[in-house]
Amino acid sequence: MKKEKVVRTSMYAAVLIFLILFLVFSVLAAVTFGNADLSLKDVYSVILYKLFHIKSLAAYGEGAIHDVVWLIRLPRVLLALAIGMALSVCGVVMQAIVQNPLADPYVLGISSGASLGATLAIMLGIGSFLGGNSVGICAFMGAMLTSFAVIAIANMGGKATSAKLILAGMAISAVCSAFSNFVIYITNDKNAATEVMKWNMGSLAGASWARVSAMMPVTLVCVLLFLTQYRSLNLMLLGDEVSITLGTDLHRLRTVYLVVASVMIGFAVYCAGVIGFVGLVIPHVVRILFGTDHSRLIPLGALLGASFLIWCDVACRVILKNSEMPLGVLVSIIGAPCFIYLLVKKSYGFGGRK
Amino acid sequence: MRITTEDIRVGFHTRQILKGISVDSGNKELVGIIGPNGSGKSTLLKCIYRVLKADSGAVYLDGDELYSMNAKSSAKKMAVVAQHNYYNFDFSVREVVLMGRAPHKKALERDNAKDYQIVEEALQRVQMEQFADRSFSTLSGGEQQRVILARALAQQTPALILDEPTNHLDITHQIMLMELVKTLDVTVISAIHDLNIAAAYCDRIYILKDGVLEACGTPAEVLTPEMIKKIYKVDAEVAYDSLGKMHILFL
Repeated sequence: MKKEKVVRTSMYAAVLIFLILFLVFSVLAAVTFGNADLSLKDVYSVILYKLFHIKSLAAYGEGAIHDVVWLIRLPRVLLALAIGMALSVCGVVMQAIVQNPLADPYVLGISSGASLGATLAIMLGIGSFLGGNSVGICAFMGAMLTSFAVIAIANMGGKATSAKLILAGMAISAVCSAFSNFVIYITNDKNAATEVMKWNMGSLAGASWARVSAMMPVTLVCVLLFLTQYRSLNLMLLGDEVSITLGTDLHRLRTVYLVVASVMIGFAVYCAGVIGFVGLVIPHVVRILFGTDHSRLIPLGALLGASFLIWCDVACRVILKNSEMPLGVLVSIIGAPCFIYLLVKKSYGFGGRK
Repeated sequence: MRITTEDIRVGFHTRQILKGISVDSGNKELVGIIGPNGSGKSTLLKCIYRVLKADSGAVYLDGDELYSMNAKSSAKKMAVVAQHNYYNFDFSVREVVLMGRAPHKKALERDNAKDYQIVEEALQRVQMEQFADRSFSTLSGGEQQRVILARALAQQTPALILDEPTNHLDITHQIMLMELVKTLDVTVISAIHDLNIAAAYCDRIYILKDGVLEACGTPAEVLTPEMIKKIYKVDAEVAYDSLGKMHILFL
């Protein structure tokens, strides 16, 4: 029996190291894909020069190749990494907070709040004074406002329970979608409607170093925070009553986790629009392979989610010739069958009775 | 540890569930709480293990008011085996028992070898060590109950609160559990359904009916045919076997 435990621990360590190496490989491989036909040598020369300023590669310090690799591809890959990691960890956390396997990062109506923000910005020009990415900023504010509204509503008249959170999220979500549709309907602007639709499908095409430098630190700090919270997250799955007898009052923690997760998702929405299914499928895949213990689930989920989104984005860039597939659409095309497979697979039920 | 409740009153809407209950357990005493369904046994225990806040009255652990300490401190003083242990999750048995160590852990502290050793010992005491790597949700009700008891043991508290702990258990494990609890040398407050189990193991018994304390005393004092008739409306006879053990026969 002792031996089994050792085997499990060393297998976990092996998988963790494998996923880290795979993530590094994914970043390095993903920058070589794209519409522009560049050789491997060119791509890595640019990166090496930018990182270490090696004199002999100085020719790669500017020009078209430099722009494609350093200003377009690399930020895009790193943004995919950060957003994949954020969505996956948020999925894990949301599923624990609401004790529901169907929860995803957008379960609290965050996605519809974000799209209401984006719709108002695109259709009515609200927030145009905010500059370049006013749509993203409005979406971020929409996402934050809805998640805070849901948390506040769930806390009214007694402590927030997981059921109240889900129902409040559903209700807020319905209100926001209705308003978005209303605005689209009355303005009757076909071009703008298309833009809203594109935005709701998610894309990393707008990646830049500015967005990477906004998203990456937020993701890393929040993921590190959740890495330390595995014990409380485990207790959350046992419910409030049992947790109290085990010395943890979940009520305050739940609100703190929700706020942290909402900030992460808000930033993801700001950078890339609404990308579904990553936060739903990745946590479940990790649970099937390594169980529910959050001390493993969070690091593995973070790494797997990051690699997954990097490769989805690569697929978006190469599937259609001279055009791009919307990331949210592709992820759902891949994610939905995975999810159906999970539902059908009998040996897995997020625990609980089968 | 001494656990004392003082005039606990709980009501839901207009219905009073507990109408001023004061119970008191001596140090290392095994106190049983019996009574018919709906008499308020579980509600009283929930007030003691701070899942339910009484409308009025107070609970004291060794003289300290329950809500004057935080959840972590009270979880170091008493462990709980509640009635319904249906969980919506897929943890292994070892992971479930390991959670009993949670109140002893600081925020950033990892689980160490000592915690794992405590977990193994707790599993051995409830004879579930061969199930350590099984998924909790695949166990039978009785096995789950024993795992939850192991989690309470891993908490290493001076008091234990049990809510009908022998439910779901076969007779072997009912006796095992009660014998184990008896040898723990801690204060135990337990709601018990089976009057014979209560008679055999409790130091003292409180009888609860319709939210009121009807009687209190040693098993021989309170488990009389008259009292059983009054509380449960069934005829009973109390007999003693050749070892002097008390048995309640229902007629």
